[in-house]
Amino acid sequence: MGVLSGIRDAVCFWRRGKAPVPFVVLFKKFKSVLERNNRILTLMADMADKLGGEYVFDRRYIESACEELSDQVFKLVSDLSILDQGKNVELFAAFERIRQEMQDELAGRHRFPDTPPTLPLSALRADMGEAVGGKFAMLGELKNRLALPVPDGFVVTTGAFADFMAKNNLPEFIREQAKLLDLDEEKNIRGVSWAVTAHILAASIPRGLARSLAASLDELTERLGRAPEALALRSSAWDEDGETTFAGQYESVIGVAPTEIHTAFKKVVASLYSPEAWLYRRRRGFKEHEAVMAVGCQVMIDSRVSGALYTYAPMTEKEEGVFVSAAWGQCAPVVGGEIETDTFLLQRHSPFAATSRDIAQKTRQMVLTPGGGADFVPVPEELAGVSCLSEADLSLLGEAALTLEKYFKRPQDVEWTFDAAGRLYILQSRALVFSGRPEKRTGAIDAATSQAEAVFSGRGDVVQRGVAMGKVQVVQNEEDLDDFPFGAILVSRHTSPRYSRIMSRAQGILTDIGSPAGHMATVAREFRVPTIVGCGVATELLKTGDEITVDATQNVVYRGLIKELRFFELTEEDVYEDSYEYRLLRRLLKKITPLALVDPHSRDFAPASCRTYHDITRFIHEKSVAELIELSESGQGLLDAAAARLKTSLPLNLFIIDLDGEARGGMGEIEPAALASLPLSELLRGLDDSGMWSTEPVSVDMGSFMASLTRTYGPRDGATAKLGRNLAVVSREYMNLNLHLGYHFVLVDAYVGEVPADNSLYFRFLGGVTDFRRRARRAGCIGKILERSDFRVELHGDLVVGRIKSLDKEAMRAKLRLLGGLVGFTRQLDVRMSREGDAHCFAEEFLAAIKPVMEDIK
Amino acid sequence: MIDANDAATAKKRRILILDDEPIVVKRLRPAFQKAGYDVETFTESEAALARFAEAPADIVITDLKMDGLDGMGFLEKVKAVSPTVGCIVITGFATLETAKESFHKGAFDFVAKPFKLADILDVVRRLETTLPGARHAG
Repeated sequence: MGVLSGIRDAVCFWRRGKAPVPFVVLFKKFKSVLERNNRILTLMADMADKLGGEYVFDRRYIESACEELSDQVFKLVSDLSILDQGKNVELFAAFERIRQEMQDELAGRHRFPDTPPTLPLSALRADMGEAVGGKFAMLGELKNRLALPVPDGFVVTTGAFADFMAKNNLPEFIREQAKLLDLDEEKNIRGVSWAVTAHILAASIPRGLARSLAASLDELTERLGRAPEALALRSSAWDEDGETTFAGQYESVIGVAPTEIHTAFKKVVASLYSPEAWLYRRRRGFKEHEAVMAVGCQVMIDSRVSGALYTYAPMTEKEEGVFVSAAWGQCAPVVGGEIETDTFLLQRHSPFAATSRDIAQKTRQMVLTPGGGADFVPVPEELAGVSCLSEADLSLLGEAALTLEKYFKRPQDVEWTFDAAGRLYILQSRALVFSGRPEKRTGAIDAATSQAEAVFSGRGDVVQRGVAMGKVQVVQNEEDLDDFPFGAILVSRHTSPRYSRIMSRAQGILTDIGSPAGHMATVAREFRVPTIVGCGVATELLKTGDEITVDATQNVVYRGLIKELRFFELTEEDVYEDSYEYRLLRRLLKKITPLALVDPHSRDFAPASCRTYHDITRFIHEKSVAELIELSESGQGLLDAAAARLKTSLPLNLFIIDLDGEARGGMGEIEPAALASLPLSELLRGLDDSGMWSTEPVSVDMGSFMASLTRTYGPRDGATAKLGRNLAVVSREYMNLNLHLGYHFVLVDAYVGEVPADNSLYFRFLGGVTDFRRRARRAGCIGKILERSDFRVELHGDLVVGRIKSLDKEAMRAKLRLLGGLVGFTRQLDVRMSREGDAHCFAEEFLAAIKPVMEDIK
Repeated sequence: MIDANDAATAKKRRILILDDEPIVVKRLRPAFQKAGYDVETFTESEAALARFAEAPADIVITDLKMDGLDGMGFLEKVKAVSPTVGCIVITGFATLETAKESFHKGAFDFVAKPFKLADILDVVRRLETTLPGARHAG
């Protein structure tokens, strides 16, 4: 047995483990991957588009769109599993997990994110609303990403809430009671609400939650260095502070002694079923299973002065301002409108000077009482008539206000407090909802835009509607992203999925090149960043620091800041966001569009890390391209295809395998004119017409000559060297070209079809005859040429990799001719690279010489 | 903008919208109101029919697939009450057969869901050019 299996292993090793699938079949799968990738991105974009406000859709649409999408993604996974011969089977599991979650969502069975019962504030981010509710997800973001001061604490998750409800059989009880509401909402609401609330208050806290609460309190004590005297328990319901505002509907319990935390938790949960909140939900089409409440628990601040502010004063159409109201003591009575407040209107720029102030006679204030709780006490006489905020306080508030607004891209309604030591804390920030009638103000917009200078208009594709106003930040490479300023407008040549990293900081995005179905577009929609791609002239006409207004609804870019446009945008009513189908589609899209797998070089770029359909799609796209290049290079499975030698006077020794089976010349030779492959034809044309393939011997100096003698083929040079010939695998739209020219290697992989989103070009150059310095200089020169021609370039020593994607057919043809010229130009270039400045000179020389070769295209 | 305002003041047309999915009527109502129409919406065909018998609208926009009286039946009945009424059928189950049948029953146009608000507004404006010009009492 041992001998047998040993032989079998040896044979398998010899056969490389698997019988090769014919290359033609693999190539068909590759093409199918490209087509599906495009279809899926378009479908995802379509679905996200439906949330943009332009479309009318219904449940039937959501169901059929999800079904088609799942079908396409499943087939995409299957295609890859044939292409890579089963290397990524975990993708099926990832797909099934996501599909099942979507099924559950469609059936009204919500699956709560798998988290511990409590989470500290330091662990929360904006996208965790599902787990911790809207309010605390945002507070976490303020604390952890914007570094704004937020009172320390933790949150009881939605999962723990669901557990608490289920263990006490509350969902069934509520469903029964809700039937009474179906009969007569008005008449029965008080009684039903009272019954449900009483049940919740009498319910018991599950053991796991109790343990977790105790542990979180201990950790909080440790962080503070003392036991907190009083806590604030705040509601953080689903969709609270999101598009739907439940402002003031749910209860916050302040001044809670740590021993009272269980009771306070139940009180906040019970407020989910107050008559007002329940009716509000029912009338906006919320289903019972959508009533979900996370509860935040924070240290009470011993407030000296507190209040609320609107980052964008809703009363003023022409004058913009920050509106602040403030009173002595705790915040709750200010928000509740129970006491007299000072009011201020601040300018919306530094140093946030007050343009008007109204100081009230303040008679009462709420303060913490020893041992927990809070109570009203009289304001000391000497403080009653004086302003409770100084210029410095106002300036701090103004800065915080604009930071918040810029970040959330909507005006904010902010609650804040200063403690006894004068430290500012943000208690809450939520979208400010206007009830204006913007259509009446279109006259003011017409006047303002007709006077403004339009930098360009009607160019490119709108990816996400909206208005962005701010300073331009031109981004050329990845390093530029590191210090991308808050609220700037990103302007760049290309779209790139890497921009998702700064998407939350950007106010808007403009690119010269790019497709609305690309990965970046999907991410921009997810972040709702106003974005226009394919403008053509953005980087030419705009420079870093320019102040512009991007109207990505009308597709116009104006010079200067047009406040009227922003006002119109900020005050628009979005009632459609109140419907169940809208929320359902949005929840489903969270399982579809977010893209976590951005960097193919990262260790997380793996099937197990795929959380959404977008992740799966991007992973497969990247893998299938790599797989095809590898297959062509290794020669695996090529034996079944017949190769023909290209007839040319150039010493290329190029053999062609035509996957369409069209390019057969007589006697195993083929004329260049008979080539049906567009990429190869264009590349050869560039090589021929440029006349850059120099046949004259280059004089080699002694240093280069010695270096050439000592260089041997490296291990990765093997396959081509063994064949002793150059190889191109082609079809009408595709080419994979491997050239081994003297001591360097060129690989060009190209797909050029009618759909720009499918098109891609990959160029790799490596090696050379001379010493490393000269080879690196040549690499630098090639890099420059590619960069100037809009390729994304990576340089590592003498290795150059250039990539370009999503251009239309004509533009791709031009790039292929350029590469053809480059193949000829670079052949013995390293020998000529004796000085540092040569890279630059030769790059300019080449770009000038290649220009006429590309002129007849377009 | 000016056109819509003129329409609003000169001849405020009455539109009845019927779709059993609340999200559809919720989206259509403000859009047509903004464009200057007098709008009534229903999610049940019986209630819509009763209202139409009481005060016929100039234009009817109806979903096709509904519980009880479906869009096709509704179309027939409103045409019987008021032969000049302009009808538009909207549906998420668009097939050639249903489209044909709708036209046969007197629908002006047939619009597949999902659609853009601008598109349905266009259809209604085209429909208006075929309606009798007389002003209708609200």
